[in-house]
Amino acid sequence: MLRKASLVSLALTLIVVAGCAEPPTQQIQEAEKALKDAQESGAATYSADEYAKLEGTLAALRKEVADQDDKFTLFRDYGKAQQLSASAKADSERVKTASVQKKEEAKAAALQAQQVAEEAVKATQDLVAKAPVGKDRAAVEAIKNDVEGLKSLLKQVQASIDKEDYPAAQTQAKAIHDMSQGVSTEIQNALAKVGKGKPGRKK
Amino acid sequence: MALDRIHKTLTAIICVLGLIGCVQPVPPDLLVALEAIDQDLIALRAPEAAPDEYGQFVHQWVSLKARVQLDDDLIRWPWESSDLENDLRRLYLIGERTVSQLHERQASQHRTAQAKVVRLEAQLHTITSRVESIDGRILLGEKVVQTDLLVKQARSFFEQKDFQRAMQVAEKADHALKAQTVLLNRELGRYADESRIAYWQALAKQTIEWSRIHQSTAIVVSKADRELTLYKSGRKVLSYPVRLGFNGMLEKQFQGDGATPEGRYRVTDKRGQGQTQFYRALALDYPNAEDRRRFEYAKKSGKIGPAKGIGGQIEIHGADNERLAQTLGCVMLDNPNMAVLYEGVSVGTPVTIVGAVTRGNAVALALSELAQRRDEI
Repeated sequence: MLRKASLVSLALTLIVVAGCAEPPTQQIQEAEKALKDAQESGAATYSADEYAKLEGTLAALRKEVADQDDKFTLFRDYGKAQQLSASAKADSERVKTASVQKKEEAKAAALQAQQVAEEAVKATQDLVAKAPVGKDRAAVEAIKNDVEGLKSLLKQVQASIDKEDYPAAQTQAKAIHDMSQGVSTEIQNALAKVGKGKPGRKK
Repeated sequence: MALDRIHKTLTAIICVLGLIGCVQPVPPDLLVALEAIDQDLIALRAPEAAPDEYGQFVHQWVSLKARVQLDDDLIRWPWESSDLENDLRRLYLIGERTVSQLHERQASQHRTAQAKVVRLEAQLHTITSRVESIDGRILLGEKVVQTDLLVKQARSFFEQKDFQRAMQVAEKADHALKAQTVLLNRELGRYADESRIAYWQALAKQTIEWSRIHQSTAIVVSKADRELTLYKSGRKVLSYPVRLGFNGMLEKQFQGDGATPEGRYRVTDKRGQGQTQFYRALALDYPNAEDRRRFEYAKKSGKIGPAKGIGGQIEIHGADNERLAQTLGCVMLDNPNMAVLYEGVSVGTPVTIVGAVTRGNAVALALSELAQRRDEI
């Protein structure tokens, strides 16, 4: 009789324990937060493929939880969801670190390109002061005009950097550098033709 | 006994078959193939170029990989089909189709972006050369370098295979090029305006007529064609190319604007060596009464700032002696031509400066070509 009672209580305990299986809410929240952090660090831009996989993992995780939720209480098992949460969190943190690094590299490259462009514009500006202003006043004025334009274009590079659009900043800085060199070549060719001219004076 | 042995053997065979059937893994080749599809999609920049398609693929791939890793769905009997394997095969087909579609799309984007960038570069080249030919570069101000920057940026993005951004920037460059031609038309459109050309033709005709009636010399300068023509007794005797002020194509409005004035003038002084910093110079009576009236009106109407002066010392002169720039609104000739002209005219000679004397003048032609090009963009 006693043995029978023990078996019944054991079975009830097992049912209660099995019925208590709860979704790993906290782990899921941690994984979601880790993904959000990764996204805010620029993962969608700088580690786009890995970020997409993380989103996929989170979707799989949500589906797994929903599948278990749909099951009869006794048969629910959130072990797989726990594993997915843990791996999603760990991967999100890894991707975040990688994205931050890639973003920093892109920023450094953009800043370097900006500096090179600024130096090129400055050199062109210095050269304009030596530009021969003989016959072709129109050409000289046009060159001065271009240099003023290049100076204002440098502001666009800064604006792109401020917006953290480093690829745009880099392409802008490269274009400004190339244009500055073009203008410098134009002046140098003119200098080579006529020698150093005296600066023009206004009428 | 023998029956017992057969029984044991059969049991062993069933167990072995059962064990084999129970742990049937997903074919590793399939996983490798799917991994390769994923890599192909990444190489095609699918995460950036086709985020939706890549997202769909990757969601399923991650989910199925998780099922594989978590040993789910792996236990089956040999006669059962594997849902996981079937799902993986289906995903493989979807992935393969996505790769192929992206290949095609990328090739098409490549072609479109390339055509656009190349066309823009050609446009920019044409516009730049046409603008330079009509001295319009200063008139366009910073628009020239801004447009150049956009075209170069489009090229950079294209070379980085970022076709989407290349197209976006190319679109901006396109607008900038159109804005350039619009501005040129606004500022120089009068060179293509028939009534204005008729007015200029009348001015030139009257000057030539005056030369014929008074059996004297007269000069007509066409700014659009950058040409000075000397008439004697109403007959054309010589024509020389000239340079104008650095903003010569515009109507002169105030001192230092670099524009060359338009109107009827006279030679007020002949300045030989020692009397001018140039080789030779013929001083003109700018500003005349008409210029003053126009200037005052522009000032009153606020078109010109109150501090601006009307300017003066407009001359027809030769090249400078000391490479000093003084072509701030004058008409400049090469020295040998200036020598001939200088000898051929006297104080009082009428000088009529007009925008153009023909409908097919250089500026009108350039504007028309630019308009055609603009429509092609």
